[in-house]
Amino acid sequence: MYTYTDFDKHFVRQRAAQYRDQLDRHLAGHLPDDEFRALRLQNGWYIQRHAPMLRVAVPYGELNSAQLRALAGIARDFDRGYAHFTTRQNLQYNWIPLDQSAEVMDRLAAVHMHGIQTSGNCIRNITSDCFAGIAPDELVDPRPYAEIMRQWSTLHPEFAFLPRKFKIAVTGAGEDRAAIGWHDIGLHLLKNDAGEVGFKVLVGGGMGRTPVIGTVAREFLPWQQILVFIEAVVRVYNRYGRRDNIYKARIKILVKAEGQRFFDDVEAEFREILERDVDGSAHLIPQSELDRVTANFVIPAGVAARASSGMPRPADAPAGYGRWLERNVHAHRLSGYRAVTLSLKRTGQAPGDITDEQMERAAELSDRYSHGELRVSHDQNLVLPWVLESDLPALWEAARSASFATPNIGLLTDMIACPGGDFCALANARSIPLAAEITERYQDLDELWDIGDIDLHISGCINSCGHHHSGHIGILGVDKDGAEWYQITLGGSDGSTLSGGPVTGKVVGPSFAADEAADAVEAVIDTYQAQRQGGERFIDTIKRIGLEPFKASTNAVRRTTARHAASDAATAE
Amino acid sequence: MTAMKFIQTHHDRWHTVEGDDGPMVTITPASHQLLTWLQWHSVRHHWPAGMPVGVIVDNTQDTRELEADLPRLGLVVLQFPKWVDGRAYSQAHLLRSRYRFAGEIRATGQVLVDMLPLLQRTGFDAVVLRADQSREAAERALNFFPGHYQGDVREHRPIFARPADELASQEFINAGASI
Repeated sequence: MYTYTDFDKHFVRQRAAQYRDQLDRHLAGHLPDDEFRALRLQNGWYIQRHAPMLRVAVPYGELNSAQLRALAGIARDFDRGYAHFTTRQNLQYNWIPLDQSAEVMDRLAAVHMHGIQTSGNCIRNITSDCFAGIAPDELVDPRPYAEIMRQWSTLHPEFAFLPRKFKIAVTGAGEDRAAIGWHDIGLHLLKNDAGEVGFKVLVGGGMGRTPVIGTVAREFLPWQQILVFIEAVVRVYNRYGRRDNIYKARIKILVKAEGQRFFDDVEAEFREILERDVDGSAHLIPQSELDRVTANFVIPAGVAARASSGMPRPADAPAGYGRWLERNVHAHRLSGYRAVTLSLKRTGQAPGDITDEQMERAAELSDRYSHGELRVSHDQNLVLPWVLESDLPALWEAARSASFATPNIGLLTDMIACPGGDFCALANARSIPLAAEITERYQDLDELWDIGDIDLHISGCINSCGHHHSGHIGILGVDKDGAEWYQITLGGSDGSTLSGGPVTGKVVGPSFAADEAADAVEAVIDTYQAQRQGGERFIDTIKRIGLEPFKASTNAVRRTTARHAASDAATAE
Repeated sequence: MTAMKFIQTHHDRWHTVEGDDGPMVTITPASHQLLTWLQWHSVRHHWPAGMPVGVIVDNTQDTRELEADLPRLGLVVLQFPKWVDGRAYSQAHLLRSRYRFAGEIRATGQVLVDMLPLLQRTGFDAVVLRADQSREAAERALNFFPGHYQGDVREHRPIFARPADELASQEFINAGASI
């Protein structure tokens, strides 16, 4: 993975020093709350329901064991012994007192980590495929490009105060595991007929109140030009994006409003940078820089393709091991190796949550079985990228004893959920109790397996941190008269092959009361099981039979809302 | 590139021209007048050659419209109606990088200490700090980072285009001295 240079090390230390200066001025009363806010946000500090929340950047989801141990230490020493992995491959703490925040930034800087641009109206942490560099379906490893873009976007002086946040995702695989269509800029690395590497560039995707899939700006942009092209996009956005209404401030709204004119402006800006600006071509990436950064993303020493005799299946292995091989163990581009997901979806803990002790155990597992390397997945799990096939039985035992071995990856209980109203000041409803209720109902592995591949995404509010728009089943928390309600959508897709092109789920009837939501999900699952043909997957059944059967079955579980509907009808008469 | 100038408005040689009902008055050209874009348009055809003049530009204005007049302007004042409205950073960048404006670019409005590094790197060389801001903290804010990843109007080259010895020696030593 990327190794910090002296410059990088010095840079994060100075960022921590700069933050300390800002915090000191704030605590001394020279920097009022309102103004400190935008500064702390750009270092990942939010004020939440109970305490500040800190979002730590995990660039394109890559972590090493030393970093994970440092994160565990921070959870232990400053928080309440746990943290939360997010859909954008970052890590969040919920209980760190603000007056200790500068100390935490120093601790992070010591392991080359930071919270730079994990919040605020700036270019955010760049996300990628958690199997980058190891996936068999990968054409181009996106990590060197992601790192170059990370550096370019870090403290970019012109783009620190955009109309709204700006998210970039990049993948280089056939399968889109980074949901690039849902990002402000989505990048798909590919090769043209001549074998040259370039990007398919999508602009203007996003979730929130107005879900939009990105529009193709370029089918093939030579990789050398990517920084210049992004500069052109972001400059057009900075100049023309709306600032009068926070809900209409994302680039997707500008792209929709301007249509072709937006893309013409971007292309004109792109040409002007290269043709007119002082040293306008200075940000074309030279081969030497790509080579320098790529050299960081080498296969760990001692790892080499070897003859594979397949995954070991000892005769006396319990059934759970076989299930785990099938769901949590993934194909690898190197023969003899596998990638293994450590599931962070289990009863008793919120999706993506991890204790300090579990972080230590995961770090240990990565040292023992994966050359000290880990990935954070978009689905809020951890991945060990370099596991020898012959180590799988031992790893399974070890992962099981650390509660990482729930064989549920891709299944109903491997759900995405935001922290919701239990923690987040923005949320309209809680996500965690609903996630817990669904997890508890589907503990029977046979049943879970019978249901099969399904993406359940839960967001506590329309900000969509839980990506409800792209879930096969999406659940959105809404607030009505101070009570929690849940809107259910079906048929959404993140853009993976399983799900089809990225698409927004469709709403199934009026919102459900809090005590009906889990029943409604169960009714959806029951309907699918009753209606499916053969081994048909959930998403395919929805595509085939449409929403009506699901509307009928979910309406049948209404209690509170049925009474409301009845009384509304009575009033109307 | 010169150091950042901190403007004290009562000592400023540039003067706005205002009538009883705002800025629309008949202008008699005089040295170092600071005009709104509309005022400038009313006098630009007969403004005496070589007489220093500055303009105040809204942050929504397209900098392309300024290009032809830039050689005649000594000062362009850009505005931050809210400090988190970053449009003027792009304006300054374009004035310097694309249109080669060599006069002063000044930030006014809600200009806060922590904007200084961004202002300097996008081409501003003068600021009118908001009255409650500390000049000392502003100067400190300019010195945290010895260098940056991406190029800017002062250092056009991104880090990957700068020789390694340049990064190692000069910038780190300077950083050590300033913090």
